[in-house]
Amino acid sequence: MKKIIGIGAVSLLTLGASLALVGPGNSALPQVEPAYVKECGACHIPYPAQYLPKRSWERILGSLDKHFGENATLSPKALQPIKAYLDSHAADSAAGNPRIMRDVAVNNTPLRIVEMPFWIHIHHKQIERKAFDAPKVKSAGNCAACHKGAANGQFGDDD
Amino acid sequence: MKSRQFIALSCIVMLPAMAYAGAAQKPIIDSYLAAAKAENAAFSGFSAERGRAFFLAKHDASSETPSCTTCHTSDPTKAGQTRAGKDVAPMAVSKTPDRFTDAEKVEKWFTRNCQSVIGRACTAQEKGDFITFMASL
Repeated sequence: MKKIIGIGAVSLLTLGASLALVGPGNSALPQVEPAYVKECGACHIPYPAQYLPKRSWERILGSLDKHFGENATLSPKALQPIKAYLDSHAADSAAGNPRIMRDVAVNNTPLRIVEMPFWIHIHHKQIERKAFDAPKVKSAGNCAACHKGAANGQFGDDD
Repeated sequence: MKSRQFIALSCIVMLPAMAYAGAAQKPIIDSYLAAAKAENAAFSGFSAERGRAFFLAKHDASSETPSCTTCHTSDPTKAGQTRAGKDVAPMAVSKTPDRFTDAEKVEKWFTRNCQSVIGRACTAQEKGDFITFMASL
């Protein structure tokens, strides 16, 4: 009987520990707003809301007619759930992660995740090697070129 | 049932299905037909050949997207690629049968892409020619 309880306790502890490891860069991310995936995942991977601050998302949504060289306008009706989602899951929201906001100047509004200090820090080796200039990669914004799980928000080392 | 009779019966059953290839696009084509007639009284019908020329044309409204072919490639039966590296399903209806069946989706992309590539809205005739071309491939 004691053995069973022991094994049960160890199993629960292990499960608890694996769940506690969930954070940016790991699997098992919370459900993403379907409208965001559908509309903002049509031309590129749906970039995770938690990788940019609220003010950056607001600026991007406010200039969709000039979206990195293309017109990506959406009807106000289509925009509404997307705005709500990004605002409530941004890096500096209640659901956000302070580590992502490290070293971001208060008067700076990065429009690209690749301009965020956390991203530059993580990818400094690839930046030195000019890995993002490779023809198959096309650009640093093409996360899925190296992160196979990027479309599902998975950016861990094993993904 | 004898095999010859079975083959004959299958063909007869298949005929209406074959005639309906492209039927899924008809409602949208018809709505642009009506709009094109309203835009231009002299309008006499869509043309796949005009649609092809329209698709391949190069414009100077944008250095990033000078042509429809920039993302959709010059062969609509092949998959395209967005500038961010994501695959785009072929435009050709024969390869992607649900193309041009969702009116809201079609209008959303025409609105955006005509502005990006040409620098203005497309006319109903241009849209109808374009779809007619894609449905002919």
